[in-house]
Amino acid sequence: MSEPRIPLELSEAAMATFLALADFLIPASPPMPVFSAVGRREAVEQNLLFRPDIREAFFRGLAKASGKPPEPALEELSTGDGEAFSAIGLIAVATYYMTPSIRALIGYPGQESVTYDADAIPPYLLNGMLEPVMARGKRYRSTPR
Amino acid sequence: MTTETSVKTSPRSKRGEEVDVAIIGAGPAGAVAALHLARAGFSVAVLEQGDWPDYNAYAGARPEWELVSQKYWHPNPNVRDRQGDYPIDNSDTAVNPLMFAGVGGSATLYGAQWMHLLPSDFRVRSLDGVADDWPYTYEDLLPYQLRIEKEVGISGLAGDPAYPPRPAYPLPPTPIGSVGMRGIQGMNELGWHWWPGSNAIPPEKYGNLNPCVRRGTCLTGCPEAAKSTTDRSHWPEAVKNGVNLMTNTRAKRIETDERGRATGVLYVDRNGRERVQKAKTVILCANGVGTPRLLLLSESGRAPGGLANSSGLVGKRLMMHPFASVLASFEDPLDSWRGPFGQQIYSLEFYETDASRGFLRGSKWNCMPSGGPLGVSGVVGSKVYVAEEGRFQDLWGDALHQNVRKRFGHSLIWGIVCEDLPEESNYVTLSSDLVDSDGIPAPKIVYKVSENSRRLLEFNIDRCVESVRAAGAIEWLLSYPVRESGWHLLGTCVMGEKAESSVVDQWGRCHDVPNLYIMDGSTFPTSGAVNPTATVMAVALRNTERLIQERRSQETPL
Repeated sequence: MSEPRIPLELSEAAMATFLALADFLIPASPPMPVFSAVGRREAVEQNLLFRPDIREAFFRGLAKASGKPPEPALEELSTGDGEAFSAIGLIAVATYYMTPSIRALIGYPGQESVTYDADAIPPYLLNGMLEPVMARGKRYRSTPR
Repeated sequence: MTTETSVKTSPRSKRGEEVDVAIIGAGPAGAVAALHLARAGFSVAVLEQGDWPDYNAYAGARPEWELVSQKYWHPNPNVRDRQGDYPIDNSDTAVNPLMFAGVGGSATLYGAQWMHLLPSDFRVRSLDGVADDWPYTYEDLLPYQLRIEKEVGISGLAGDPAYPPRPAYPLPPTPIGSVGMRGIQGMNELGWHWWPGSNAIPPEKYGNLNPCVRRGTCLTGCPEAAKSTTDRSHWPEAVKNGVNLMTNTRAKRIETDERGRATGVLYVDRNGRERVQKAKTVILCANGVGTPRLLLLSESGRAPGGLANSSGLVGKRLMMHPFASVLASFEDPLDSWRGPFGQQIYSLEFYETDASRGFLRGSKWNCMPSGGPLGVSGVVGSKVYVAEEGRFQDLWGDALHQNVRKRFGHSLIWGIVCEDLPEESNYVTLSSDLVDSDGIPAPKIVYKVSENSRRLLEFNIDRCVESVRAAGAIEWLLSYPVRESGWHLLGTCVMGEKAESSVVDQWGRCHDVPNLYIMDGSTFPTSGAVNPTATVMAVALRNTERLIQERRSQETPL
């Protein structure tokens, strides 16, 4: 018996199933929009390319959920096929929070590069924050002789 | 009877040619040994099962960072499943060992938190009546620690009253940011110790290292080349000095002659062919899991329980520093995706033994940022703060938005490293059924968190909650022991004076095999409660210089 084939692309039907599940997992919560308002097909496909290791579980989960209302479908996956549930959830949440408009809403510039003056005197040396630590003095146990 | 090691002017060895020294593992310890041996004129071959790092592959500066890191840069080799990794049988352990195979070793994924052991760590038996003393003292090792700091490029602030006085660090401390400042607030409120973090992260250009730009992705590989790992600090010069660094090369066993001397290393090359690297001396630097695995794999008629194992202690006394974590959220923004990550501050308030607490030994705390939105959402990754038995609706839907709103950009993490005492019931052995991609038996970990460690963890969790409450936290999530936290793999080939109660002497030389050395953290008699890379490298330097000094009396195969 041959292995079930992993779809090469996200069909219309599979995308519709995914959107229904993702919208249940990530609903609107003002000012945050529902997943389908920002979750583009190209982004979902790109993220599946980033993680080929979960592709099979992702499509297996969609096949199991096809034609079912989202909450019982997700309940069934969560209790019966955790790997598929995790794959669908990861692609949904990653796609959502990688979307520039969502990042803007939560104030996330990404893992940005920040310049600073390495020679500047740190604030804790200027504002007295370190003084109580110094004032308590030695804390270590010396090497016994 | 001894024979003299011939010292060459370190020409690069050819395949099949005997070298003065073969080193297994290109991590921090192997790098120190290789560089200093090559400088002293030894011919050196290094076998490394991983590859050189590809800095373009580190995703820290790209939007998909969180999506890809939890697979390709996960510290658990069973999750990562790269070609160079070997699998680990974790079916009987409470804590999973973490590591990375490649030039630079597991430090590729470390937080670069740079700490010395304290004086009491070398005298646990004398001071606390348990475990063992080290064969040498804090003061003996300090000169090597200070030299390693310059080789690696350490940033920090001298003057911490939790340590004996010491000279200035090579570099000033990295910024501590809003996360560190909020951590300080709680500690000062309670009158507890803290100190600006010391890290192998330069705030300015240092040798082959670029200045840290606070990208905050240290634990998944630094795309800025601003976290010190030996692929930048040591290996380029080692190779320039003639070291033959062979990557994608997996050691399978250490070969011995009829006298029991090491003669070289049987390895599998990148094409799957078995070859032998002959050597007058062999040094193991394969970490506290990989080193005992290789010794156990090298059993023979002369060494039926594993090479260098007449004591029966190879693989025993595994210490992994049970780890606790507190994620605390605050009303005001802390920009908590911003690095370094790295420790922004640390605390040794509860480091030294106070028997009235109901346990011996202590802990080190490190205050860190909490990362991106996926990490704090609780719905992906290792789910550190989430009960596995929970319903999915508890984390998704409106709960997801609420959790991200509350935690993302507004939280810090206190990591709590607890000292693990050595116990022979915690050990590394060979798996009966799991093998790596070359068919070599995988290591199996048998490990339980001891009663002393459990009490230590619970005490520190309670104190840490007091600290974040004092700092104004509105929510705190606790995890202990964190299953995916076995970064520090120590103690499995203990050093000591007597052959019946230790595997190596104080110079890392195996009691049973005088031309076989171990120079990684597996030789530590006790673990302390600090991040061990500084001590691993300092001990490797001390041992290597002794080997160089004693080369004329070094026993070698005939």
